[in-house]
Amino acid sequence: MESQRLLNPKAPSNNEAESRSSEEEDWSDGSSYSSCYSDSDSTIPDWEPYVDDFSGELLYIECHPFVTQNNKESKLKKHVEPFSKTQMRRSTRGKFLRLIRRRESKRKSKKGQKHVDVESNTSKVKFQDFQEGEEKEVMLDIDVENRHNLSSDKSLAESLLGLVVSTLSDGNRVMIAGFSYDSKAKNERNIKIGDWLKSINNIEVNVQNLDDILQKFINRNDVLLKLQRVAGIEVTKDPPINELNNESNFVKEMLNFKSDDEQVLLQTLCKHPVGIVYIDLEKLDENNQEYEDVIYGFPRPLKKNILCVSRGMYITLNHLLDDVTKTKPITTTVKCKERLAHIVYTQFEKNLLLFMLPDNRASVQETISVNKELIRLLQFSYESVHNSFVNEQYFAQVDHFFSRFFARTLSSGLWATAQQFVELENLSTKSLETSPCQFEDNFPVAPTLTLPDEAQMQIDDALAELEASDYREWNEEPLDCQRLFTMLGSALYHSGYLLATHFIHEDLMDVHCFCKQHGLFHLSRTEPVKCLVLWKEVFPHSCRTQHSKVKVPEGRRYLLVVGSAKDLLAVIMEAGGCTEPPEDNMGPDAFYVEEAQATLAHIQELGLSELADRFLSMNPGPQITVPFPHGSKKHGDFISLNFSKKSRCWEGNIKRPLNRNVSEVTSILKRRSSDQNFVMQYNSMNSLQDDSYDGQSEESGSQGGYSERSEVSDDSRRNFRRGARYDSNDEESEADEYGEGSQMSVSSFDVSEIRQNLLCDTEDCRPVQLTAGGDNVLYHFVQLDMTEGILLCPPESKMQTQTYELILENFRKCCQQIHTLFQNTLRFKNMPAQDMAKSVMNKSLVAIKEHGIVFECPYVDDKENKKYKISYWVVGRLFYVPHPREMYVCYQDSIPQNLIEIAFKMNMATMD
Amino acid sequence: MSAHIICVTSGGGLPIFSRKRGNWENLPFSVIGSLNGVHMFGKPFGIEMINTITDDYVVAWKEFVDSVVIIGIASGCSVDILNKLLESVFSSIVLIVGTEEIKTQRNIERLKRELRICYPVVDRLLDSLDCGDSNNKYSSDLAGFVETILCPENHLIQIVLDSFTECVDSMFSCVLISGKIAAATQSWWSLHPDELKLLSLLATSGNTASSKDIPVFLPYKSPTVAFRFVACTLIPEVQLCCLCGPTPLLNDIEHSVMQCFKNSTDILNTAVLCSPKNFPSSYVIDGNVLGLLLINTAIGKYMISKSPQQNASKKSTSSSHRLDILRTFFYRAVLNYLIPLVPCKYTSHPNLTEQNFPKDKLASNDLNIGTETYWCSEYHKCHATKVNENVLCVLYSSSVPTHFMRHITEKTLKQLISDKQVYW
Repeated sequence: MESQRLLNPKAPSNNEAESRSSEEEDWSDGSSYSSCYSDSDSTIPDWEPYVDDFSGELLYIECHPFVTQNNKESKLKKHVEPFSKTQMRRSTRGKFLRLIRRRESKRKSKKGQKHVDVESNTSKVKFQDFQEGEEKEVMLDIDVENRHNLSSDKSLAESLLGLVVSTLSDGNRVMIAGFSYDSKAKNERNIKIGDWLKSINNIEVNVQNLDDILQKFINRNDVLLKLQRVAGIEVTKDPPINELNNESNFVKEMLNFKSDDEQVLLQTLCKHPVGIVYIDLEKLDENNQEYEDVIYGFPRPLKKNILCVSRGMYITLNHLLDDVTKTKPITTTVKCKERLAHIVYTQFEKNLLLFMLPDNRASVQETISVNKELIRLLQFSYESVHNSFVNEQYFAQVDHFFSRFFARTLSSGLWATAQQFVELENLSTKSLETSPCQFEDNFPVAPTLTLPDEAQMQIDDALAELEASDYREWNEEPLDCQRLFTMLGSALYHSGYLLATHFIHEDLMDVHCFCKQHGLFHLSRTEPVKCLVLWKEVFPHSCRTQHSKVKVPEGRRYLLVVGSAKDLLAVIMEAGGCTEPPEDNMGPDAFYVEEAQATLAHIQELGLSELADRFLSMNPGPQITVPFPHGSKKHGDFISLNFSKKSRCWEGNIKRPLNRNVSEVTSILKRRSSDQNFVMQYNSMNSLQDDSYDGQSEESGSQGGYSERSEVSDDSRRNFRRGARYDSNDEESEADEYGEGSQMSVSSFDVSEIRQNLLCDTEDCRPVQLTAGGDNVLYHFVQLDMTEGILLCPPESKMQTQTYELILENFRKCCQQIHTLFQNTLRFKNMPAQDMAKSVMNKSLVAIKEHGIVFECPYVDDKENKKYKISYWVVGRLFYVPHPREMYVCYQDSIPQNLIEIAFKMNMATMD
Repeated sequence: MSAHIICVTSGGGLPIFSRKRGNWENLPFSVIGSLNGVHMFGKPFGIEMINTITDDYVVAWKEFVDSVVIIGIASGCSVDILNKLLESVFSSIVLIVGTEEIKTQRNIERLKRELRICYPVVDRLLDSLDCGDSNNKYSSDLAGFVETILCPENHLIQIVLDSFTECVDSMFSCVLISGKIAAATQSWWSLHPDELKLLSLLATSGNTASSKDIPVFLPYKSPTVAFRFVACTLIPEVQLCCLCGPTPLLNDIEHSVMQCFKNSTDILNTAVLCSPKNFPSSYVIDGNVLGLLLINTAIGKYMISKSPQQNASKKSTSSSHRLDILRTFFYRAVLNYLIPLVPCKYTSHPNLTEQNFPKDKLASNDLNIGTETYWCSEYHKCHATKVNENVLCVLYSSSVPTHFMRHITEKTLKQLISDKQVYW
């Protein structure tokens, strides 16, 4: 195995470590499960070979195989040469060697577990599940070398048999999901992906007992596997070349810098009014060569770049308008080849940055926001815009980024959910279409999913633990080496939604922009990510700016992003200051990467990503409703309609497998009461209104029904967890176990209990209805908090109807305009008093705080109902205290709504 | 607080005229040259400069009939309104000299001389920009719409006007009270709103004591053939305007005017009293209402009032600011959402069709139609509602509950448009 081969060249340099490792093996052999772990310094992480030798940067993405796409291409990680490691990185690891080893002994128990966990949670290979199928028996050799040197992030099955296992759709039976890199099994014709592994040496296996059984045969030379074909899916027909690490085009594009398409793409881009040009204003001289003043331009060649050839216009305007009006130009709109395009100006001392996008892909406001975001991104990635364009070593990276960026912008719909990989053919047609309006995704704010208190606390706990990096507990003797990094903060994302952040707001926005623009969110949302590691030197806002009061320590900061499945954990680490001084081109430190991965695994183990998934999948979400062709209702059918709508909503909820873990007797009561709590809440709100009592009593009745159904649950999952979790750490005190959630193995029982509690609690915390009145009339809401970088909005709805899309599109468009209007108010508020009188602002606009519009639109989904009109409000509201916050809502025109009330409820619902 | 309009020939960049408003220095020639140069520079690359936005200012360029470029710089207003202004400025040039002379440009000096007559009109057009400047005497001007007055005597004036048109054999005539249309013939209303507005401005510009007889081209209806525009003052503040051919002579027209209107002096005198309020004082308007703006989008006319209360004399100081607020509300909110498109019956103009400003992405779509809008500021609230072609914008004190505005506006609108006497 890979790790095996890497072991030898390393070993001599670490004699001391070697000897210690044997000690440790002895010690942990006593425990039941984790006896066989590998010494960490023998484990070269999978990503290690891919670290860039010069910059120390790393982007490593490993995906689960997926079958939907018939992708036969092999692993494409061209730019890297396996096993080439720089001296530097070895030395880094040396420093932390002891730490790692000590920790390993305690962490081990979780390692194997984590793996299965991830797989069962997420994108497993799905096969149709027929019981009958041919049964095969296969004799498989056990990998002798790996027997006692189990890799830290491989399951037992993978290490011993070279099989990657997952579960079948019932979550209990073991499925062959793939083969490890150099497995013997993959040459075995009778083992195919998707097969059900029935037994090993005639002992029936399931997910729970697999590891235990393997444990028993660990010293045998071979085992007899009994497998059964479950489905005849294309992949299994393929000869077992086993190109399992299939990467989608998108992932390839992310990893692959110099694709052949890039040239073609550049030519295509030159035909569109897009571009970015960075100009040195001091080199403008008639005598200079034609493009001497252009420091950077994209797309190239410059003479075909429409922005570049016409830059004289904008340079002239830039200083002319400054002279005439004493204000700098922000945007210019031009008509170029019969298409409108917007150019944004940004001046950096003696340099001018111009950025152009066509109007049909981005309105003026959108272009301005995108420009801001790009600047933020460049500053975060390369310290300053100037640096990013001047430094030749960044050229390739910056070019690659912009080519992807422009191609995406020209071809995608809504940016947040846009398909990130661009087919060239699509580009020419799509770029002429008008894109939908962007709104909430267009600002430096992170869409936030608020989980219940308990869950939030667990996450915060885990993140805090990671950030503290307090490793004293693991050492019998005091540490004598300095830390390599201080953690400046961390943030946890799920499917692109922020779950928790410990960043300074500005840094959060930096990280968010980075992940968004580099497609990491898209990756975690759409791809079956098994493992993602990103490492890059960054320049977060808090360290970029020179504060007069706060002294930023000298040092370097690095962004570490680890991901698995839909979860993403971003950490900014500082080298220098109070830690070891930074080295040049420092690569990722295996210890810290593992630390972050372990934190993520811990969070997943607690069921938090599952919880987040549930929240996201509530469709259309309990807070909002979809438009329905009954504009204004008479009082009579008010009740019935109320009920029917509500029950629709509830049906949506029970379809989800909510209740897996109900085993306590009390939980039935608890559940029922919690449901009724919700009803009570609901009632009390309605009672303010008046007369929908009948509807509600029926409702609570029906909920009783649901709760009975909820008792039917399979707790196999939980059993599985529990069974696998008795490990070596029972001797630790309980307090410790609780406190050290992230790194130490919490006693398994506690983890599963926490998990169970967290998942049960879902039912308790349904958000209340935000709008007034008996009926929920809210179609959509957006709350922008630019100061904190937080965005609240309902999760992306999968119940899209045409009418709904139509309304949302209009909603976003209006929001853009309302947002622009509010900027006047904010600008005036922040204006020094002495400037107010002088200001030439339109004084009628300086204090607007709420703006609303009623629209009518036809119900377009149903042809027969087309005559029905839906009448709805789009309202924006600006709050100043404690800091500026903007809220936008879209609701059906019926009972008058109070925006302050809605905002209050919204924030109450998300605060708890 | 300031605005500039520059008109140059698009071939050579020769300045034709430049007008300004507000406390701004005249732009030096080099600046005018650069502004025009920027526009010219893009042409070989197939790039047409449309507009540029700074923190407070908007600059817009527009080339008309391939012969003149009009450049506008203004503070505080939106791009859309500045664009509209540029079109109106061009219309006012056409009004005086016709399109032929602009296209041929045989003699620039003569063109400049001829255009002097439209300076006051262009100056008044500049007043319709909402720069948020309360010193403006003409805060009631709306770009692209013509102002009217709803006197209770309007129906009586209309009768006299109809008899007058028979006398002088002209279909196009109207009576202006303080520059606002009180009554007009059907044909007069059929003119483009821009033409209506320009003619009203032309009648009130300069010396109103004596009669005017000016040859005019109608920018939309007849950009190449001139009419005679005749304006006679009936009593101070009241004018009669008509469009006619070479005959009758001015003297004959003045004679007919005397004949027709000599018995109506009393009516006109009482009608003039309506002026600052602009609608009948008998109407009962809710106490929270601080200002009204009633618009007919089909004809392109409006009535604006800053003192709707019956005893409105006491609060006259801040009242011109009220008009500013209403106007800005109309430009920014109502025009965007409730009146998305110029009525299509006017877009068939030969010279202006291709020149329509390109609609950008945010131009509203056909399926979502705005019917009502409001905004709340710290100091006031505005609400507008649309019923068919009528839009009523109301300025409220900030104490009125937001949801209650809808009710008051609807009630007020009903009252204003149901009165047959005022001929709305």
